[in-house]
Amino acid sequence: MEASTARLGRRRSRGGRRYGSGERRLARAMLAPSLIVMALVAAYPIGYAIWLSLNEYSVRVPGLSRFAGFDNYSEAFSSPEFWDAVVVTFMFTAISVGIELAVGLGMALAMHEAFKGRGILRTVVLVPWAVLTVVSAITWRTIFEPNLGLAPQVLSALGLPGADVVWLGETGWSMAVMVLADVWKTAPFIALLLLAGLQVIPNDVYDAAKVDGATTLQRFRSITLPLLAPAILVALIFRTLDALRIFDLPYVLTRGANDTTTLSLLSYQELTTNRLIGYGSALSVLTFAIVMGVSFLYIRLVGGNIRSLVADD
Amino acid sequence: MIAPRLRSLLLWIAVAAICVFCLLPFYWLINVSLKTGADLSNADLIPPSPSLDNYSSIFENNDFTSALRNSVIITTVTTALALIFGSFAAYALARLRFKFKFLILAVVLSISTFPPIAIAAPIFKLWTDIGIYNTYTGLIVPYLTFALPLAIYILASFFKEIPKELEEAALVDGATHFQAFRKVVLPLAAPGLVTAGLLTAFFVWNEFLLAVTLTSSPSAYTVPVAVANFTGSTEFEVPLGTISAASVIITIPLVALVIIFQKRIVAGMTAGAVKG
Amino acid sequence: MNVLRLAAILIAVALLAVAGCGDDDDGGGGGGSSDSQAVTESRAQGDVTWCIGKDTTGAFTTVVDNFNKANPDANVELLELPESADDQRRLQIQRLRAESAQCDVLGVDVIWTAEYAAQNWLLDVSEAIERQADAFIPSTLETAKYEDKYWAFPFNTNAGFIYWRTGQDGGPEPESWEQMYQQAGDADGFIYQGARYEGLTVNFLELLYSAGATVVSEDGSEATADSDEVRNVLTFMRNGIDDGDVPKAVTTYMEEESRRSFEANRATYMRNWPYAYALAKDSQIADSFDVTTFPPYEGNPGAGVLGGYNLAISAFSENPEGSLAFIEFAVEPGQQEIQATEASLPAVVSEVYDMPSVQKALPFATDLRDAVEQAQPRPVSPVYPQISEAIYTNVYAALQGDKSPDQAAQDMNADIQDALETF
Repeated sequence: MEASTARLGRRRSRGGRRYGSGERRLARAMLAPSLIVMALVAAYPIGYAIWLSLNEYSVRVPGLSRFAGFDNYSEAFSSPEFWDAVVVTFMFTAISVGIELAVGLGMALAMHEAFKGRGILRTVVLVPWAVLTVVSAITWRTIFEPNLGLAPQVLSALGLPGADVVWLGETGWSMAVMVLADVWKTAPFIALLLLAGLQVIPNDVYDAAKVDGATTLQRFRSITLPLLAPAILVALIFRTLDALRIFDLPYVLTRGANDTTTLSLLSYQELTTNRLIGYGSALSVLTFAIVMGVSFLYIRLVGGNIRSLVADD
Repeated sequence: MIAPRLRSLLLWIAVAAICVFCLLPFYWLINVSLKTGADLSNADLIPPSPSLDNYSSIFENNDFTSALRNSVIITTVTTALALIFGSFAAYALARLRFKFKFLILAVVLSISTFPPIAIAAPIFKLWTDIGIYNTYTGLIVPYLTFALPLAIYILASFFKEIPKELEEAALVDGATHFQAFRKVVLPLAAPGLVTAGLLTAFFVWNEFLLAVTLTSSPSAYTVPVAVANFTGSTEFEVPLGTISAASVIITIPLVALVIIFQKRIVAGMTAGAVKG
Repeated sequence: MNVLRLAAILIAVALLAVAGCGDDDDGGGGGGSSDSQAVTESRAQGDVTWCIGKDTTGAFTTVVDNFNKANPDANVELLELPESADDQRRLQIQRLRAESAQCDVLGVDVIWTAEYAAQNWLLDVSEAIERQADAFIPSTLETAKYEDKYWAFPFNTNAGFIYWRTGQDGGPEPESWEQMYQQAGDADGFIYQGARYEGLTVNFLELLYSAGATVVSEDGSEATADSDEVRNVLTFMRNGIDDGDVPKAVTTYMEEESRRSFEANRATYMRNWPYAYALAKDSQIADSFDVTTFPPYEGNPGAGVLGGYNLAISAFSENPEGSLAFIEFAVEPGQQEIQATEASLPAVVSEVYDMPSVQKALPFATDLRDAVEQAQPRPVSPVYPQISEAIYTNVYAALQGDKSPDQAAQDMNADIQDALETF
């Protein structure tokens, strides 16, 4: 199906086929509401934020500002805190999204299996998501509170390593808690997406494979995974975009200590706490650019999958 | 081949693991919500003297109930609009032919990735000037903006999976594109609609930054803002008990919602089985 | 019209409009600080909106009600901001930058006052203060002063204490910081707020002020953190952890964690604000603890750091005289008494501490006034957030052993100097 789509696409662009004007009008009408809403909210604020990043606003003298061109950006590039934040953000994203995908896939597979109580399982799985992000961060913080929290108590009761560790006070361990909290909250998101994807795979394909003697693992690798690819891609993209912008978790858990300052947290600190409007806005724009860069990278790497989404066939 | 017995066992172990993983922190919330005073300092797995004080103090607080109402309204409206606008846009992108599709998709995607902290203040100023500060509309519009990209993307993927022949059959029978969309494509994409709807709803429900920036009175607060306003007896005290109780209360209707929608997923699937 | 073209035009127009009028937004109330406006008369009339953090105990509402009853021509409304100080500040600043008239009276944390004043966001209330300067505890007035003018009225204050366990589980009353650390090592340890945030700045400065030094020069133009005193304090704090007198867990503690740990019998000594007193009295250690003001350090008398909130008038308020009337009402001894008894908020008016009702509600009231009198404000500067960040990031690194006290002191100095020279 994909191959024929691509062929049709090429034929279209070469031939310069004329579209039905009715189709175009309908397309415009159907796109209009979404585009107008987004233009309204995004155009001015985003444009304004970009403008702010090109200036410097004095924190000491009221009303004093000056055009700074790209100075804020070069300041960011030469700042170790910025690069530390980049590293932390990417590390967190890679680890967290990777684990979420695996856990989410496992959950989706389990939910997909036909057995009693499936409905309850689906509901159970969405509970972490119903808990407010900020509340979940506070909960995890208290779970890992030294001595008093659930985690140290359970770990020491079970005699496992890590009971004495001051989790949120050590580099590495703090990141581990952040990843754990994030996976807990968002694996259900991925499970939901993947489950929807699993449900559109028709059973006959599996039946045919079973008849041909394929093992469970073979069926999983050659049928499930490829057919699930679009859903996995959607999950990957959106989870990556979210993880790259994570703020609540590092703010509540550690305030960014122990190498957990992410790009969003750094932007917040400079923009809001230090009132460096120009510099903070530049950091936001850089965060935005990085996130966009990553998503375009995805699009390249997985070939035409996204183009095929909008390709005419 | 894995023996059926073993397979069952593995499945049940997996299920048990999933349940523990998902529910343990939530159980902890319930645990804390039943504790008051000094007990909150202890890490007992079971509250030594369980009490419903935290719950009653929440409901005595009118602000919380009105915040619940606000959140429900805003979430419902935003989700409905996101599904409507989103499905229109997704259909246009997935099925109709016109220029600049990829550009539009890219712009749509990029809008949702701009760090909200940088645009919170400009939106505040703009909303104050227009006059929709501290209103439902003032929140619904930005939420729609941030929710649409995901909805459009998910719906477009689902629309793409549906075979063209079904629509073409409808078109041949004399239906317009829009009718084909409404009568053929939408029902088949039910799981996608439910998924997109749930994701939008959860995003709006959880959103804090814009909510706290664009509202200033209890009549407009949403639940995350109300929870952030929960008080201990002083500025330093973090009222774990009431926050936990509020979280438990909030979760219940959401869980109920999921149970309801759950059946829709199944119904949607069996109603319009897609043949590969 | 083609939707795409429409959208593109909208975006282009928006960008142009933004570029054109981008400058107006951050002008604040006028040119330099000399142009700032003052309010000298108070007239109890009109609408006043009071924007302050969550009214945790109802005491704020009581003040508002009392004022409204006593002044029928005036109407004060309480607009509660979120409980977190960070959120309060962000939401206040957002309104001030937008020159919004929504908030007339602002509940301003002592460390934000100079920041707001430097941006011409507040009205000069020096004359009104002069009229009753004697009533206030002098140190509290320092937090409202910037460039020799007063920009707010102190409303409530705060100063830290040492809490200690008495009886069998406990230790002796601390006679000096050094001795306390040692005693803690023999018992269950000393805990404080050592996480990487503002609270650590407070804890560090309490020792540094005791040692007689500061991090910023008197005139606010030079960093003075590269000093022996700073090194000694850092070494002292670091050794405390190394020797086991202070558990490593303090590097994750904010006020609540240390309080919970103390109440759960996990520590013998604790540094915390007065708020923990009432809560500890409600806990399992109710009868086995006591509080005391800071003991001497390096032979010098103990020094605290001032906390608390001031009341300021927004430069964009449409009713400055009414706002002033309300503020003057809120700092009357009678109203301050209510704040102290109902909300355990330490008063800024000296005589309130002698009232029997306050002595009853806050058994350590006299100690509290002493603590406030001996306390000093944190560096009063428009770039305080950056100064504080310079302090707590480097102290934290020293506590963790990531930097030597030498290195931390040098870096702290460099960072503070950078902050003072920010554009």
